[in-house]
Formats: sequence, structure tokens, C-alpha cells
Amino acid sequence: MLENLDLRDRNLFLAATIFYGLAACLALYRILRSKPYPRTGLLPLMAIAFLAQTLALNLRGASVGGCPLGNPYEVSQFISWSAVLLYFIIGPACRLRLLGFFTAAFSAILGLSATLLATWDYTYPAGRYGGEPWIELHAALAIFSYGVLTILALVSAMFLLQQHGLKHKHHKGVYALLPSVQQLDTMAWRLLITGTICLSAALIFGALFWLENPDRVPLLKLIMTGVVWLGYLLVVTLRLGKKLVTRYHAYAVISLFIIALLALWPVQTARQPDAAQTQPAQ
Amino acid sequence: MSEMALQALFVLGCSHHETPLEVRERLALTPERIPALLQELKKCPDFSESLALATCNRLEIYAYAKNDNASQSIQKILCNSLGIKNDFLETHAYQLQNLNAIQHAFSLAAGLDSQILGETEILGQMKQALATAQASKNTGALLNRLFEKSFQAAKIARTQTGIDKGHVSIGNIAADLAKRIFGKLETSRVLLIGSGDVGQRTAKALKNRGVRDLTVTNRTSQNAQELAGQLHAGDLPFNQISSTLHEFDIIISSTAAPNLILKQEDLLAANRLRPAQPFFLIDLALPRDFDPNLEQVENCYLYNLDDLATIANENLARRNAECEPAQRLLNNQAWQLWLQLRRRSLVPIVGSENI
Repeated sequence: MLENLDLRDRNLFLAATIFYGLAACLALYRILRSKPYPRTGLLPLMAIAFLAQTLALNLRGASVGGCPLGNPYEVSQFISWSAVLLYFIIGPACRLRLLGFFTAAFSAILGLSATLLATWDYTYPAGRYGGEPWIELHAALAIFSYGVLTILALVSAMFLLQQHGLKHKHHKGVYALLPSVQQLDTMAWRLLITGTICLSAALIFGALFWLENPDRVPLLKLIMTGVVWLGYLLVVTLRLGKKLVTRYHAYAVISLFIIALLALWPVQTARQPDAAQTQPAQ
Repeated sequence: MSEMALQALFVLGCSHHETPLEVRERLALTPERIPALLQELKKCPDFSESLALATCNRLEIYAYAKNDNASQSIQKILCNSLGIKNDFLETHAYQLQNLNAIQHAFSLAAGLDSQILGETEILGQMKQALATAQASKNTGALLNRLFEKSFQAAKIARTQTGIDKGHVSIGNIAADLAKRIFGKLETSRVLLIGSGDVGQRTAKALKNRGVRDLTVTNRTSQNAQELAGQLHAGDLPFNQISSTLHEFDIIISSTAAPNLILKQEDLLAANRLRPAQPFFLIDLALPRDFDPNLEQVENCYLYNLDDLATIANENLARRNAECEPAQRLLNNQAWQLWLQLRRRSLVPIVGSENI
């Protein structure tokens, strides 16, 4: 029976998106109906989605002969995968209620966007960076840091929501389920430090590749990644000096995350070898 | 067991529904007097099992009768024990039999018959009443089963409906909000300003939820020290509130002061010393003790008496909406127990249709 299934990477990515969407819808339905949060229902759905996504990334990696980070479609899938992986790691330890719902919803939206925007999945030469250990390490660390920064943005959004509820005297539904503002603030700070360290490490390894191959790294990519990194570094510095706290901190990290996501476009455009190779991958 | 036998299961009592406070005062039975009442009930040959439930809102005797005289006998014993006349008891008491008695016990355990709908304290009181009756060997197979099943039915009703969702007391609501701000309350420092009753109850509710560090302050230092002793708290001179504000996370005020005790500039100064840590301000005073503009201070959450009462009323309305489905569920459970008792001949056949 299994051999009849069409286990191509795009189908698996789509299946993962559907399961993330189901998990998010289940949680949302329960929240809106004031029913207990469905932790036990959410985890299996997310686990199935994660497994499908892992398999899809593996298949895509095998076909491109390296880490599948060659176009925006693959990068979106990798960021989503990385965020869910991080959720599975920190979720049980930190016991942040609703983080699963937010992560599933984010992954579903990102997956859906990537699926609908067919031009994102353009083809590129297989093994473009194959055999370059620095660039593989740089890419893996950068995507992991994006996963951390995704969770950071979600936690910050949860913080803003809880703070809004408390300030405006809302106490039902999602507000009653969200973790405390102090828990969210502490978690956001830890994620900011982790994300910035990972991003810095990714840039250091990327810089080693750049020093050896200056003409292979486009200037636009250098500028955009530098701007994002400096942005996070500035937020860390201001937070350490207690100059940027609470909702301003949350606004800053969410804005930076949106900039970081938007920065992927010029980065990928800069990497795109030529217009002739922009057909969707099959 | 025949239907005859189960007609002997009955409850005689009075509660806040039918009797005003002054009547309930006369019918009140202190816990110390219950063992003596149980002994009297046990000696009586007209029923084989009995149990007394006495709370601040109700007094009920559950019994399994052997003959027609059981009801009169219980009334007589109760009147003797309380020092009241039989007429007085008859005017205010109610009697429920068989299936109705089972349904009543189930509703009671689920908190549907309580003054505060859905409260859980009654369940503990029923468990205590059963334990006391079991210790004096007043209960047998029937009442033990009735009460155990009541506890199970109550649990099912609470799990499957929202009958106990959301707190309805000011203290517990404030504690819930504190948890939404700070998470664990073990490390939160609480300052109680004034000795108002609601303020004290709120401080106690916070202590019950894990607060370890409580400080009390009052204009009269002697009152502050006395209250601190009662609440196992520290005390603070009243004139040091502003200078030490930054050391506290939760500040409760319930004074009778005509002027504001906490102004915006005080809190802004404290906030500058700990910008990343939130303040939870609970103003339970009328006129208000805290400047309403404090709400606009970043990272400060201000709730007054009206805000807390609004939440309490909304929670109560939600509980009321759950009352009907919970009652249906309990009635279904009661009917199943009634059928089981009829089928399984739990107790010997005695009793009367008139009981």
C-alpha cells in the first residue's frame, strides 16, 4: 500500500502543512469553545507534520546534493522545520502553554504561502555549495538561528497578547490560557541570547567562506545579513542596559524578525544564478 | 430489594434556600456537637443508618429508615439537640425521599445547591460528614454508597461542564490575575496597605497560592503589627511606602483614607528602578487609594474593586449557564444509582411508603 503513495518532496511538504494546519485549527477550536487546551491532540498532529517535513527535506537534500536551502521555498520549509524542532526541545522543559498552537499556526501559514507562491520553488544547479564545509555549517547554523528567532517572535507576540489582555481587563478564552507575562519575558530574553549567538556563529563561519571566496558572495546578501545581525545585537545591548524592555522589546524583536524574513528575498535573489532557472521544481 | 425498601432513603434538612440567616443561626450545629447527635441517632431503633451534614448554610440528616416513625424520631432528636420546638423545625425543614434524595445529594456534592454556585468546599464538608458518621458506625452499605457515588457524580459534572470554571471571590480572582502576571507566586513580594477585610482575604488567597513574602502596613503601626502577626507577615512603617515601593511586586490597598495613597510619580520612580519587572496593583478601597492614571504606567497592571467584581459576575454568569447541563448529567447519574440500588438488593427490605 505504501508503494502506491506518491512520496515526492512537495507532496510531503504539503502533507506537513495540512497537519500543522489541523493542529492549529484543533487548538483554536478548543480555545474558542472554552474547552481544555488539547495538548495531547496537538502533539501527535505536529509530530506527524514534523516527520513528513523531515522526510521531504531529506528527499529534497538528496536531489540537490546538499542542504536544501537553494530557493525561498526550501528556506521557508527549513525555517518552519527548525522552529518546530525547537518547540519540541524547549516546549516540555519550559511548559509555555499555547506555544504549540502558535508554532503550528506559523508553520501552517508559512507552508501554505510557500506552496501557493510557485515561483519560490525555482530550480538551481545541484550541489552548488556541495563540498564546502564552511558554507554548509554557515547555512545550517543560520537556519537554526532563524528557528530560534521564529520562536522568539512567537513568544513576543504571546507576550503582547497577554499584556493587552491584562491591561484591558480581558480574562477569558486565549488570555486565560497564555503563560504569564513574566514567564514570556524571561523566555524571550533567553531565546534572544540563543538566537543572536547562533546567528553570530553562522556569520563567522560564513565570513570564513567569504574571505576565501570573496567574489562568490553577493554584496546585497552581505549587507542584508549584516543589518539583521546588527539589529539583534542592538536589541541585546539595549535589553542588557534595561533601555528596551517589556512591550517595546517585543515590538523590536517582532519587527526584526519580519525584516529578517524579508531579507531572505534579496539574499535568495542574489543567489539566484539566472532567470532561465526560475521554473518551479518538480 | 423491593421498591418499598428504597422509599426509606430520605433526607431531612434546611438550607439557605428556604431559611433566612436568623433561622439558620438557631439551627446551626457546631462540629463538636455532631458526634453527640450521631450517638443519639444511632441509639434510635427507627432507622438503621444516619449521617449529619452541618455547614454554615445547611443542616441535613440523611437516614435509612426501618419503619414509619423514622421521620418523627429524627425531628425529635434534632429538636432536642438544637433546643428548638418541633413546630419551628417543621416550618423551615424540607424532606426528600428516594430518587429525589439521591438527586439532591448529587447536586449538593457538585455545588449546584450551594450559595456560591459550583463551589468545591461542600465536597470536602460532605466527605468530612461521611468520615465522622463512618467513625461512629452510623453509616452502612446504603449511605456509604450514596455518598461515594455523589462524589463521583460531582467529579464527572465538574469535568464535563464548566460549573466550577472561573473564580467568583475577589481574593481568588486577584490571585488568578497575579498568576497571569508573575507565573509562580513563590518569589513575589506582596505589600498589604490597610486592614480592610477584603484586602486581608486577598492577601490570604495569595498566600494560599504560594506567596511567601507578605508585608503589612497601616497608618497605626500597632494595627499593622497585630495584622502582621495574624497573617505571619512582616510590617512596614506607613511613611516608607513610597521609598520601598520598588521592592514589592503586588500591592494591595484597602484603607479608608479619603486621599490617594499611591500617586503616579511614586510608581514612575519605582518603575525606573526595576523597568523589566511588572507591578500588580489591587485597589480594594472606596474611595480609591491608587491614582487611576497608574494604569497608563508601562508594565503596571491596576485593578480596582469594580474590575474584580466584573470578572466575578462574568464567571458567575458562565457557571449559571452551565447549571442546566450539569443538572441533567447529575440526574442521569442519580437515576443510574437508583436503578442499581433497586436491582442489587443492597439493604434488607424494610421501610414504609409514607416516609
